[in-house]
Amino acid sequence: MFEMFEYDFMQRAFIAGIIIAILASICGTFIVLRRYSLIGETLAHSALLGVAIGLVAEYNPLWMAVIFALLSAWLIEYLRSAFSIYSDAILAILLSGSLALAIIIVSLGGAFNNSLFSYLFGSILSVSSEDIVVISIFGAISLVTLLLFSKEFYFIAYDEEVAKTSGIKVNLLNFLLVSVVAVIIALSIRVVGSLLISALMIIPTIAALQFRVGFLKTVIFSLLIALSSVVAGMTLSYYFSLPSGATIVMCVLLIFILSLIINRK
Amino acid sequence: MKFSVPIFDVKNLNFVVKEQAILSNISLEIFSAEYIAIIGPNGGGKTTLIRMLLGLEKPSSGEVKIYGKKLSDFKEWYKIGYVPQRASHVDSSFPASVLDIVNMGRTSQRKLFTPLSKEDKELVHDAMQKMDIIDLADKMVGTLSGGQRQRVMIARALASKPEILILDEPNTGVDVTSQKKFYALLSKLNKEDGITIVFITHDIGVIADDIARLFTINQKAIICNNPKQTLSCEEMSSLYGIDAHLLHNHKHEH
Repeated sequence: MFEMFEYDFMQRAFIAGIIIAILASICGTFIVLRRYSLIGETLAHSALLGVAIGLVAEYNPLWMAVIFALLSAWLIEYLRSAFSIYSDAILAILLSGSLALAIIIVSLGGAFNNSLFSYLFGSILSVSSEDIVVISIFGAISLVTLLLFSKEFYFIAYDEEVAKTSGIKVNLLNFLLVSVVAVIIALSIRVVGSLLISALMIIPTIAALQFRVGFLKTVIFSLLIALSSVVAGMTLSYYFSLPSGATIVMCVLLIFILSLIINRK
Repeated sequence: MKFSVPIFDVKNLNFVVKEQAILSNISLEIFSAEYIAIIGPNGGGKTTLIRMLLGLEKPSSGEVKIYGKKLSDFKEWYKIGYVPQRASHVDSSFPASVLDIVNMGRTSQRKLFTPLSKEDKELVHDAMQKMDIIDLADKMVGTLSGGQRQRVMIARALASKPEILILDEPNTGVDVTSQKKFYALLSKLNKEDGITIVFITHDIGVIADDIARLFTINQKAIICNNPKQTLSCEEMSSLYGIDAHLLHNHKHEH
């Protein structure tokens, strides 16, 4: 069973996958509890716009994905606080806007090829050593930020107004949280793909919530669910030649269904 | 009066939404160690007033000072304990034990990189003891009764060692026996711990005897310094009627 680790690309894919599982599930907990589940979907499409520009202009697509996801996250938070537009409407507008622009740029630049395809659906074969370095550095910064402010993020998720009146800098922390989410999404689309990353962020938390345990246990359950889905998904994807992102998402869905069955009343 | 700088000093506060006045020319002061009830009909602006005191809503004109400072300059928010109206309607799937919630009361004062200190934990324990919820520490909030949840929310507010507790209709969805206990508890916090209490209710009938002052808010504010006397007088009971009548006419003019 361990023969797959004889290949460098599989080692890289596993390292990247495990880092992403940790990041996506932990930040996913805060996003789900804040009722902001769809932000992942939108930021993934903004990251794709960055990838498109990177591919056409021949910059590193991963870096461009990080930059565009960040810009989009800040725009979402700004629009949410400055205008009275429903936040789900803002997410929907930016999602389709980013995707439309990405498609136009790619088709104008003649780069509508396998390269973009791998960013849409994820490809374990395509994780380079440079990607691992970028994922590790940004991943570490994101993780430290999440852990450092986890109590504040938790309080804000529970009741934003009470958090504000108790002296927590809610607006600043909201910007920080969406920035971390943006970075994590952008890093993840290489392995899981922009169309599927949101699932890895949201579903482990929703599965963990079915067990109705306290906050810390929910985060740990969600982390374990994401990790086992990524490991199982990648292994299956290697042995049965299946697309990695989709296989990971099917694994996490299966665990979610199991969690529903185990916890049914 | 024996008090000097008021905790809250509100002057000529107005709040207008779409040319309709929600609050008109409200001026009031809240002093340390007071026990104040705010009553008034639904839609009369009680919650809006509280939200302005806390900086959650910006007034159209007028000024709110807190401990003598402008809201934007005030930094010691831990002195204010706020329990909003919806607090007792927690989403039952939110992953929070009673202890998780009460710990939140210490979140804004903790230092970065450090978990809750021994002192934090003691304050959380004290707050839970006062609210008689020590036994519930590991229970999920979603499984508690209305009365129990209400005590958890107040324990969270108390954990930050507030000098004033502001409660917005804390008794919504709580049974009568729990309500009585609850008012006794508020009274105790006020008398024994010297915590200023301000609470909103739309039910005049439940107001306890020991309320020091009563604010009636129905677009305007009427401040009664002797509630027992005022409650019995006709002026007070007609206040609802007069203002309801005014509102009625107002609608027809548009």
